[in-house]
Amino acid sequence: MTEPRRFGDSPFGGGMHLGDALSGLLDGELAPSQQDAARAHLVGCPTCAEELRAVGQARDWVRALPPVEPPFGFYERAMREGRRGAFATGPSLRRRAGLAALGAAAAAVTVLGVGSPRPNPASPAVPRLVEAHATSASVGADLLSKLAPVAVPVSFGR
Amino acid sequence: MAGSGVPSWEEVARNHGRFLYTVAYRLTGNHDDAQDLVQEVLLRVRKGLETYRPGSLEGWLSRITTNTFLDETRRRRRRPVDPLPDEPDRVVPPAPGADVAAASEGLPDDVQDALRRLPPEYRAAVVMCDVVGLSYQEISQSLDVPVGTVRSRIHRGRALLRQALA
Repeated sequence: MTEPRRFGDSPFGGGMHLGDALSGLLDGELAPSQQDAARAHLVGCPTCAEELRAVGQARDWVRALPPVEPPFGFYERAMREGRRGAFATGPSLRRRAGLAALGAAAAAVTVLGVGSPRPNPASPAVPRLVEAHATSASVGADLLSKLAPVAVPVSFGR
Repeated sequence: MAGSGVPSWEEVARNHGRFLYTVAYRLTGNHDDAQDLVQEVLLRVRKGLETYRPGSLEGWLSRITTNTFLDETRRRRRRPVDPLPDEPDRVVPPAPGADVAAASEGLPDDVQDALRRLPPEYRAAVVMCDVVGLSYQEISQSLDVPVGTVRSRIHRGRALLRQALA
């Protein structure tokens, strides 16, 4: 009587299936003799054949994931902060970016004259306001360097 | 590249920024945490906290990134939410008939969401294998676990991904 060769524990039940050797087979991580034995086993074992197809599909999906672009300006901020030695003690870059955005918004509000004691609705013209807003928003990135370091630990995860 | 062969953090950011960010995003599953993770990796590179051996720079970066991610995950494990299954056979198989994949399966957002739900150790192994492209031996050295453990985590991670996306 011959029994299927046990390569490892199977997550799909039973101990006489290929189990994690299937991923080893997919990834080319089995020795030649193990590959031969695994393929021979697959011929007569629909359970392992189905498992091979399933994990192979998951493998393909993850490998097909596209590269992820960092947010605009992230590394520029990182390099600027790094040169200032601010990594260790400052708030994380994303918090700084949020503060910078708030600063830019506040600057824009000021430019637009909101809260000004004597607003002049006729001047400056709207295109000038847009231009001023854009300038203040771009300058807003420089607000980072003006922020006082605050001891907020770097952390991630929820 | 510095004289010692150790890459500067500026070089890492300039030439490998997208790669580093991709690995961090696949591990953490969101942009906020990915940015914090990358920031921590750059800090470690800048402080020279990680030993660099001439070879695959991206393999080295992925090792730092993954270990930083797992360090933080373990630190937070005081309130475990995704414990590793104690018994391998308790991992549920895919639903019968799942061999016919729906057209929507495998969409990047769905795959990323399923990846994010994996236990961190499985996720790390899957990302190092299928996103970074490291061998089992390289992953074993990076994570300081036996090759058999790497193979097991990758396989179970894939099985859980397939189950989640069935």
